[in-house]
Amino acid sequence: MQVKNIMQTNIRSVKKGTTLGQLLASFKSFHSFPVVPVIDQEQVLIGTVHIRSFFEIFQPYNQELLIRNPLSMVSREPADIFNIEIEEGMGFLVIMADIMDTKIVKIDQDADLHKAYDLMQLHGKLAIPVVDENKKLVGIISVFDIVMKIFKEKGLV
Amino acid sequence: MNVILGIGIILIFGLLSGKFAEKIKTPAITAYLLLGIIIGPFALGIISESMIRISGTISNIALSFIAFSIGQNFSSKTFRRVGKQVMWISVLEAVGAWLITVAGLLCFKIPLYMSLIFGAIAAASAPAAIIMVVREYKARGKFVDVLMGVVALDDAWGLIIFSLSLAISKAMYLNLSSSMGHVIMEAVMEIGGSFLVGGILGFILSKIGLYLKSQTDLLICTIGIIFIATGLSLYFHFSVLLTAMFMAAVVVNLNNESFKFFDVLSTIDWPIYLVFFVLAGASLEMDLLGQIGVIGIVYMIFRVIGKFAGTYLGAYIAKSDKDVKKYLSLGLLPQAGVALGMALIAKEQFPEAGNIIFTTVAATTIIYEIIGPFFVKLALHKTNQIHN
Repeated sequence: MQVKNIMQTNIRSVKKGTTLGQLLASFKSFHSFPVVPVIDQEQVLIGTVHIRSFFEIFQPYNQELLIRNPLSMVSREPADIFNIEIEEGMGFLVIMADIMDTKIVKIDQDADLHKAYDLMQLHGKLAIPVVDENKKLVGIISVFDIVMKIFKEKGLV
Repeated sequence: MNVILGIGIILIFGLLSGKFAEKIKTPAITAYLLLGIIIGPFALGIISESMIRISGTISNIALSFIAFSIGQNFSSKTFRRVGKQVMWISVLEAVGAWLITVAGLLCFKIPLYMSLIFGAIAAASAPAAIIMVVREYKARGKFVDVLMGVVALDDAWGLIIFSLSLAISKAMYLNLSSSMGHVIMEAVMEIGGSFLVGGILGFILSKIGLYLKSQTDLLICTIGIIFIATGLSLYFHFSVLLTAMFMAAVVVNLNNESFKFFDVLSTIDWPIYLVFFVLAGASLEMDLLGQIGVIGIVYMIFRVIGKFAGTYLGAYIAKSDKDVKKYLSLGLLPQAGVALGMALIAKEQFPEAGNIIFTTVAATTIIYEIIGPFFVKLALHKTNQIHN
């Protein structure tokens, strides 16, 4: 069984230039924040926004480079989210390119389900974006999709 | 006291002292160092000789982890991302601190092999201390962006400069009577050997990584390969730092998902760093403190001049605005972890001079950690990065 047979194709993605305000508005009724793929004009996957991405907003600088120096301690202290001054303007000043995670874990749509499952286990992820041969975003696959598929086969659903 | 009990005590008191340091807005690394001095042989004596004896092993492990993590910066992607300005300034402020500190110490008749080591250590800065100030004042702006980029990269350049300097210094020190050609040969062997070991093991790690299926396997594999790299470097007298850094550079450029190796390592590395810094404090020879006067002062002053001159030149070439040219070097003065690690390596390599280097750097680290943040704050003020 291939990834494309069970992945979710009706998904929400954002552009590099989507603002924080737009993102929050489109997810305000979700009960928790999912993994949101970020794509460019050609639909190519260039990053993901997930719950940790929001912590970038609470930092006065881009953390990506500093995290690579373990002695910078950047990733070790939780962000001080209760004591941040956020101006209203940040809703349209902050865009996805500022906060997205460019460490992309993705899977090809033709890949086998076992491979998708192993990849998610290895990276400790519950869902990852699916791309076609041109690296264009075509869907998302989650551990739940795979579990569901197995339950269906066993007649539980 | 046995080693295991000792490590347990160090971890718990290290955690407490780190939390206390946070309260009084001091970087945790300074707190670990001071804790080491307090519980070390010169004060309370809780850390026994047997603990100090294993500190060489712990520091080699800690330093190889640090160098491996910092080595992930050496990808074409990173270099494209940080931009011309940060590249020029970070390279030149590191090289500037190195050359000018070496020149300064030579003027005071310090032997070349020692001056080279001091100069290389001068290149390092302390990201944690600098970030702390930026966070505390919620500083934001273009100047902060450049400062953070430079701070992120300069330890990488510092580690390279140090490894090269150490190779040359060692060759000079061990072959005082030999020709210059022989000295250069030895240094080239050490550096070339590190690249070879790092390159091969980096290739192996990136390939094995494709077959791993769980975080635990990934962690075991990453640590295993780093240990083999470090062990081989020690055995053949290559550079532990260069080997680990080059290995990371190879992995980063060969494997699209290379971040998995670094991310998994960062889940377990901190306890090792904590023990490493506490033991570094404990192995400080307090009775040498009286002898470091002139060297310490010359080192501190020329490091500042070097950082300033290098930053100015880099900012000039990259056509940065005048705030960056004038004030960025003030933001780079704090010094801590990486510098201490380098000094510990020097201590192992040169029996007498090494002790002086280590004691001087440990003492100046504490001074830099106390006065450095004031200069960072001054730089942020002067460049209007502190709003409200």
